[in-house]
Amino acid sequence: MSNKQLPPRWANQLLRWYCASHLLEEVEGDLQEEFDYQLKHSGVFKAKLDYIRSVFGFMKPFAIKRKHYTSTSITTMTKHYLLVAFRNVVRHKTFATLNVFGLALGMTCCLFIYLWIQDERSMDNFHTNGDRLFNVYQTITADGRIEGSYNTPMQFDSLGPKIPIADITQVAPEVKAISFYATGYELPWGHPETLQVGNSIHKWNGARANENFLTMFSYPVIAGDAATALKDIKGMAISRKLADVYFGSPENAVGKSIRYENRIDFVVNAVFENVTSNSTQQFDFLLNWESQMTQLAWASPAPLTSLLLTDASETKSVETKLNRLLQSRMDPNAPYKIELGLQPYRDQYLVAQFVNGKPQGGRFEYIRIFTYVALFILIIACINFMNLATARSIKRAKEVGVRKVVGSTRAGLIGQFFGESVVLALLGLLLSVALVVTLLPAFNLFTGKHVQLEFNLPIVLLLLSLVVFTGLVSGSYPALFLSGLKPAGILKNSLRFSKSSIWFRKGLATFQFVISIALLIATIVMTQQTQFIRNTNIGYDRENMVYISVEGELATPQGYQRFKQQASEVSGVLMVDRASETPHAMTFVVDRAEDGKTETADNSDAINWEGKEKGTPTGFKPMSVGFDFIPTMNLKIADGRGFSRQFATDSADAFMVNEEAVKQMGLKDPIGKWVSAWNKRGHIIGVLKNYNTHSLHEPIKPLIVDVKEYENFGVLLVRIENGKTKETLEGLEHVYKSINPNYAFAYQFLDEEYNKLYHTEHVVAQLSNAFAILAIIISCLGLLGLVMFSAEQRTKEFGIRKVLGASVNNIVSLLSLDFLKLVLLSFCIAAPLAGYVMHQWLQGFAYKIELSWWIFATSGVTAVLIAFLTIAFQALQSATTNPVKSLKTE
Amino acid sequence: MKRVYLGEFEEIVLLLVAALQGEAYGVNITHEIIAQTSREVRINQVHASLQRLEEKGMITSRMSNPVAERGGRRKRLFTVTAYGTQTLHDIKEVRAHLWNLVPASI
Repeated sequence: MSNKQLPPRWANQLLRWYCASHLLEEVEGDLQEEFDYQLKHSGVFKAKLDYIRSVFGFMKPFAIKRKHYTSTSITTMTKHYLLVAFRNVVRHKTFATLNVFGLALGMTCCLFIYLWIQDERSMDNFHTNGDRLFNVYQTITADGRIEGSYNTPMQFDSLGPKIPIADITQVAPEVKAISFYATGYELPWGHPETLQVGNSIHKWNGARANENFLTMFSYPVIAGDAATALKDIKGMAISRKLADVYFGSPENAVGKSIRYENRIDFVVNAVFENVTSNSTQQFDFLLNWESQMTQLAWASPAPLTSLLLTDASETKSVETKLNRLLQSRMDPNAPYKIELGLQPYRDQYLVAQFVNGKPQGGRFEYIRIFTYVALFILIIACINFMNLATARSIKRAKEVGVRKVVGSTRAGLIGQFFGESVVLALLGLLLSVALVVTLLPAFNLFTGKHVQLEFNLPIVLLLLSLVVFTGLVSGSYPALFLSGLKPAGILKNSLRFSKSSIWFRKGLATFQFVISIALLIATIVMTQQTQFIRNTNIGYDRENMVYISVEGELATPQGYQRFKQQASEVSGVLMVDRASETPHAMTFVVDRAEDGKTETADNSDAINWEGKEKGTPTGFKPMSVGFDFIPTMNLKIADGRGFSRQFATDSADAFMVNEEAVKQMGLKDPIGKWVSAWNKRGHIIGVLKNYNTHSLHEPIKPLIVDVKEYENFGVLLVRIENGKTKETLEGLEHVYKSINPNYAFAYQFLDEEYNKLYHTEHVVAQLSNAFAILAIIISCLGLLGLVMFSAEQRTKEFGIRKVLGASVNNIVSLLSLDFLKLVLLSFCIAAPLAGYVMHQWLQGFAYKIELSWWIFATSGVTAVLIAFLTIAFQALQSATTNPVKSLKTE
Repeated sequence: MKRVYLGEFEEIVLLLVAALQGEAYGVNITHEIIAQTSREVRINQVHASLQRLEEKGMITSRMSNPVAERGGRRKRLFTVTAYGTQTLHDIKEVRAHLWNLVPASI
């Protein structure tokens, strides 16, 4: 009956919409039957009207309420799903292994990055008053340039140095306390200082701080009184380590006296717990601030001022008051302007770079980068899972069809697939936790940290959310796509992939390789850059060179001469000389007002030269060296001659400058021109080839060098014969002890200290190395899975091809080309992307490698090669299979 | 034992389920009610009643084989449970007892 009357469609749809599924069949059936009955007896109109009335009549709770599965059926189904998941894992061991292993690698990356970030974030984050602690930074505008630093402005008058903002608490009630802190061991002039008790002599890294320091910050005091420890000029506080070494226990130490640098006696008023590695400020002992201002050498390049506010929201008003106080005390005619700002104390580690005079960027950038890297790697691992699941969905589709026919609901199927992927993710997590535990020592060695895996609440939450996230993301395709298939379609003719689903899979694989190749490029660039910095010819020979601080007897002319003489005679010592600063990391700059101080009494420029225009200060790095400095360091001379004892005038009259200085001074023919530094006037005798006097982050600066055979500060440089380091150092120690008995012999290797300047870059390069390798491995696991699947699908095709005469090569290329094209496409996307990002990164270095084509070529070729090897492995296998076997299988 | 309350309409439906002997379902019950009692009832009322009776445990149901006239859908066929039968008998007894109390003149 083609023109059979039907009930109104909309009413029927309404019914289907609201009626509970378990009642729908009988209700719809009854209504249909009734409709046909009415149609026969009362006509179309009555039948339809009746139908509609009944549909509305059924809108009752009993028909709308959904039937709930009882709890027993839930547990039964869960058991069943788990069983099926388990069977799936067992039946497809390779796929399951690839999946779990890929996920585990991704999660391991995430965990390590999380641990690293947590550790970075814990820096300076342990103080009880943390929210209300602020560091004062200064922004100096001079000569059109803006410089920012944590330095504290100083004033010098007849009574000595003074800090103009020391009494801020009196004008700003919001400031509860102010503290000053300066290290005694930092470059350029600082060094580990010698403490003596009886015959026990050791060197320690000391600092100076005012009386508020120990109460404002939470360095736990275990003996003595924190509040008064640093109050008077005799007072000092020491760490537990020192107390144990000198006095046996912290309790014994309080009240005892310690001789400092064989010069001053201090009394131990307090013992604090050893400073943990998550504090930026590191110190073994603290001397009181009054000593720092009156009787100690000014060692730190930048004293740090910190404030404790009554409330964290008061920063703006405190900043205003600080600046008002400072301006009222500074010389209004000074050629520079200083402005002060506040930065939360806990940010000093992560945000320690200054851009335009304000703190911005720093290690924080690396945290951000690595967070992204972690996410990307996790996504790659999830994509693996999705891809493999999608590929296998043909097989699972049949299962879905059968399940649907026997009455599984869509929600049940979605639950099943999500459950399966969450279970696999859980397996992956267990594996990755095991990996993390085993690799943690290596990781700590790598990064120089002391990270531990503790199962506290946040980490457990992280792990759980990791499982849920990866489970849901990676299970989303099978769960949402497969569960929506129509059972009749699946069961009648085997499911074919639609074009779009093939594209989807290829897209995912491409995305994976884009990320992997980009990471690979980034890694190569970072490694190259670090290598470049470490190995670049920085203009001097830093191998086999140690330096020793000038102190104690060495700071006297006789002591210095005796040491230089006796040390030169030690076997293995090639040359001994001195310099006023460590030559690899000169920090002192004159005439740029960078540190807020003018260096001359009459405020004229400290360094002048023939033809200089007045009021155009140039930032010079000044250095005083001995006669043998240039040959000791192996410096090259570009023009003129080096210092020589043969010229009687050299010690009073000779200056050398570097090429950069000649350029900035604007001298055409520098040799013989007069220059003056402070009150010393002389002539340029030679020009040094540019060499790096400080970290390669900054460009080379003008350098001015003069000869002083002796000064009471700086370092002794000793060139040691290659391969004789150990015995030479023993000889040196012997000489040192005999001349300087009250000081401990401490030396630094120039190359090691040099490498320390680039520690962060080194660690980051190493980490990104590891992550790039991991990303490639994970991507290849995914690729392997896809190829294996594709080979399995085409077993018959290959069999027929072989029978018809296809060679192994034909089949391998048939299988590989498809996938290699994807890798090539990924490369085309990744290369410009990575190129742009790395170009930005390199801008942070004054000396940088070129982004040359071979970096991209290498990573492209590597990716293609690795991908090809992965594919070829499987392709060869299917190409060499006996066609009889492959054709027989069904 | 406290007796379960059974409404008048429910009683009719329950009686008809018993009368139809295992072939009772929504449509034929409705038609029977109309035919036997001349009451205007709608199929949804019958369904609601059947639902309540099933909840009270007086009837049980099973699904029939698919029926072509219903577009391949199945019927839900109802049968009276022992408890339902007992209830019907109880009601009948109470009624009979009450009729005995009524004088014959009425």
